[in-house]
Amino acid sequence: MEIRHLSKTYGGKRVLDIPAFAFEPNTRYAVIGANGSGKSTLARLLAGVIPADPGAAISGGGSVGYMPQKSLGFRLSVRRNLRLGVRDAQAGERSARLAAELGLDALAKRDGGSLSGGETAKLALARVLAGRWDVLILDEPTAAMDVPAALRAEECILRCQRETGCTLILVTHAFGQAERIGQQALFLHEGQLWEHGPAEQLLHHPLRPETRQFLRFGAFA
Amino acid sequence: MASSLMGALELLLHPTPMLLSILSTTLQMALLSSCAALLLGVPLGAALSLLRFPGRQALVVLNRTLMGLPPVVCGLICYMLFSGVGPLRQFKLLYTVPGMVIAQIILITPLVTGIMESSLGHTAGAVRETARGMGLGGGVTLLLTLNENRYQIISAYLMAFGRAMAEVGAVSMVGGAIAYKTNVMTTAIMMYTNRGDFTLGLSLGILLLLISLAVNLAVWLLQKRWA
Ligand SMILES: Nc1ncnc2c1ncn2[C@@H]1O[C@H](COP(=O)(O)OP(=O)(O)O)[C@@H](O)[C@H]1O
Ligand SMILES: [Mg+2]
Repeated sequence: MEIRHLSKTYGGKRVLDIPAFAFEPNTRYAVIGANGSGKSTLARLLAGVIPADPGAAISGGGSVGYMPQKSLGFRLSVRRNLRLGVRDAQAGERSARLAAELGLDALAKRDGGSLSGGETAKLALARVLAGRWDVLILDEPTAAMDVPAALRAEECILRCQRETGCTLILVTHAFGQAERIGQQALFLHEGQLWEHGPAEQLLHHPLRPETRQFLRFGAFA
Repeated sequence: MASSLMGALELLLHPTPMLLSILSTTLQMALLSSCAALLLGVPLGAALSLLRFPGRQALVVLNRTLMGLPPVVCGLICYMLFSGVGPLRQFKLLYTVPGMVIAQIILITPLVTGIMESSLGHTAGAVRETARGMGLGGGVTLLLTLNENRYQIISAYLMAFGRAMAEVGAVSMVGGAIAYKTNVMTTAIMMYTNRGDFTLGLSLGILLLLISLAVNLAVWLLQKRWA
């Protein structure tokens, strides 16, 4: 998936501006950056749920799965919510396994609209991971989960990426998660792709002062 | 006063053919017009809040204006359209239940449209984003959006039904309050009060209140279950 001149302007303010970048197939990317640096805007643009400024080009994506930062549990039973993402028998098997691993079985009869933040995130993650995508975009999927749940979610994410060989783009505030999942890392700063490279190197030996500053206070849990 | 009340209760326990005719005409009119308003108002409200097209804002403002349309003005317009010199005279709608239903539809459809437009607007973005991310198509997304707003849809319907039951200005002009034909509860109350017959008026008033209570109980129960 390649992007060119990708920018987004809200009310005269340019909140994202990336001249060019190529996401390689079968590679896991972690996207980090401060609040408001444009991570969710990038995720939305790549997922095609908002239009980019004129002149932008996104090419070679294929099928894109996307879990928004503010994912919804639909007002159906959790079981029916899970079934929404299922289009064939294989997806059904994946969905059942994910639901079990993420602890959704106990919630199967609950109304998807009445779940807690963490429960909703588990549901949304299971729904999107059940699909088969060329590009999978997850916007802070574990931010609302407790630590054990987040670690289990990471295992599910890793397994699904390995099974499908998709391009994974994971937005996260947890540097430890960025390190465990990301092979490559992107640091966004004020809407710009400030620094990118192998995750290990960017997270531990950032080149630019802003990146260093941002990572300094992070805990690698 | 007390004797009128006793008489009214007596009448409710042993209803006359006249009372039953008024009741059935009222229910017919209110059910038909509120169902039609629902069938028209939900798609219109959904279109106004989900689609982006030129003139959308103007239509939203127009709808809000129609929400405030005084019933007698609606009655006047319908009267002029249906009367012997009006463009719709060949349909013979004046002083008929279908004519009253049309007047009611004009009055209450904007209510349903307005409620849908604003409530869908609140949830549509998040539903669309989540659904698109799962690769769901437009049809499923629309159904999910409506499902997220099912409580608002039902309560909009009940509100439209309540309005249709309680409305008097337009239906008296278009219907003419003809006994055993177009006389509904509100127009009957006016008529019998003018004649000094408070008993029938009072029994109808009590019935209207009971129906309003039932509608609001239904809304409350739905809110408890769904909201
Ligand atoms: N729909 C919108 N309208 C106006 N401003 C927006 C909108 N969405 C995002 N922004 C602004 O764009 C900037 C980047 O937001 P976002 O991409 O959500 O940041 P984050 O990196 O925290 O995910 C923020 O300053 C935010 O206020
Ligand atoms: Mg964000």
